[in-house]
Amino acid sequence: MRAPDVLQDEALRRLSRAERLLMVASGKGGVGKSLISISLASTLSEMGRKVGLLDLDVHGPSIPQVFRSERLIRATKHGLEPLKIDGLELMSLGYIVRGSPVPLGGEDKMSLLKMMVALTNWSNLDYLVVDLPPGTGDEMLLAIRALKRHPRSGAVLVTLPSMLSLSVVRRALDLLRGEGVRVLGIVENMAYIRCGGDTVRPFGSLDYASLGVNVLGSLPLDPAVEEAIASGKPPHKASREVMEAISAVASRIEVMM
Amino acid sequence: MHEWSLADAVVRSLLGFMASEGLTSIREVEVTWGEILELDTEIFEEAFYELSRGTPLEGAKLVLRKEKAYFKCNSCGAEWDFKTADEILSREFEIMEEPAGVRESPLHFLPDLARTLLRCPKCGSRDFDLIGGKDLRVSKVVA
Ligand SMILES: Nc1ncnc2c1ncn2[C@@H]1O[C@H](COP(=O)(O)OP(=O)(O)O)[C@@H](O)[C@H]1O
Ligand SMILES: [Mg+2]
Ligand SMILES: [Zn+2]
Repeated sequence: MRAPDVLQDEALRRLSRAERLLMVASGKGGVGKSLISISLASTLSEMGRKVGLLDLDVHGPSIPQVFRSERLIRATKHGLEPLKIDGLELMSLGYIVRGSPVPLGGEDKMSLLKMMVALTNWSNLDYLVVDLPPGTGDEMLLAIRALKRHPRSGAVLVTLPSMLSLSVVRRALDLLRGEGVRVLGIVENMAYIRCGGDTVRPFGSLDYASLGVNVLGSLPLDPAVEEAIASGKPPHKASREVMEAISAVASRIEVMM
Repeated sequence: MHEWSLADAVVRSLLGFMASEGLTSIREVEVTWGEILELDTEIFEEAFYELSRGTPLEGAKLVLRKEKAYFKCNSCGAEWDFKTADEILSREFEIMEEPAGVRESPLHFLPDLARTLLRCPKCGSRDFDLIGGKDLRVSKVVA
């Protein structure tokens, strides 16, 4: 008889409380996972859904950079309460450690992730969106365990249309498929730049057909995204083009889930 | 104040365990808890028995075993205990405990944040190990 893993059980249970569980991953860093998970969460919320956003990036949490708050995380009888900002429920280690480094690896990191997720007290959400760090390590493994036991779950993979990015995404895709996780599709980020009347594709164009996944949408590389983040505005509304692209992705996800 | 959520986690985990092992009752369960979690054992016990009521776990005796923590620096070799750690914790980081509204260190909720929340008292390094004293686990089940 093997004793139960109390914290992992509770972590997975709490992740499965949401009606739908949506993981945003890539394998690669700096491709826009955080931007896209944040934008999808905001868009789904504006579509009338109750949405939570979980930041599993313990080394480089990005969610607090966009949804800024000086408020302390509150602990109640039910655990750690997510912050409520702009109609979203948010949990990120960044709200606890602020800008300080979190040097951790291996078992300790897994144990931190389990404890954080096991304690977070989401309300009854329609969607829980999970923002993953780069890599296919502990964070993704924990998320995969949750997705596997959730009947309405799926993963979105973010990539640049570059060969190096795609080769990493392909590995993540292999991993997810091998584990039986439903991959809803990929989002191509920073695909093109509008410059005057021209459209430039800095990374060129890739054919995703060999991957056998849907392309849920393409986002431009738009300086308005950084400007929006710098001025504390929601990035999904950075420009009309970004907003429309994200809305299209969110609508496709709604239909698929 | 996280006693209730942790007791709830233990109870639900044990119920799942009983179901998968085909156990209809349990006589005794030992739960080991790390001292860093600073559990109030009275509240934890109350929560455990309350949450087990009316479930197959009702009637099981709870034995709580506290586990000590110690810290060992990889830079200078210094070792220290939880009491010392608690004294040198950075006051920069806080969690608000409700309903009392008390400010607490996140260390008691997320012990693995130790390297963020404190440094070696001798050399100031963050490269130290935290050994034991941070988990919550079922360490024994007597059917
Ligand atoms: N489509 C885009 N246009 C402009 N800037 C973008 C775009 N997507 C992401 N960025 C910016 O690029 C940087 C990396 O994105 P981020 O979401 O943090 O990537 P990841 O989470 O994959 O590491 C961020 O500063 C982000 O604001
Ligand atoms: Mg990120
Ligand atoms: Zn030292």
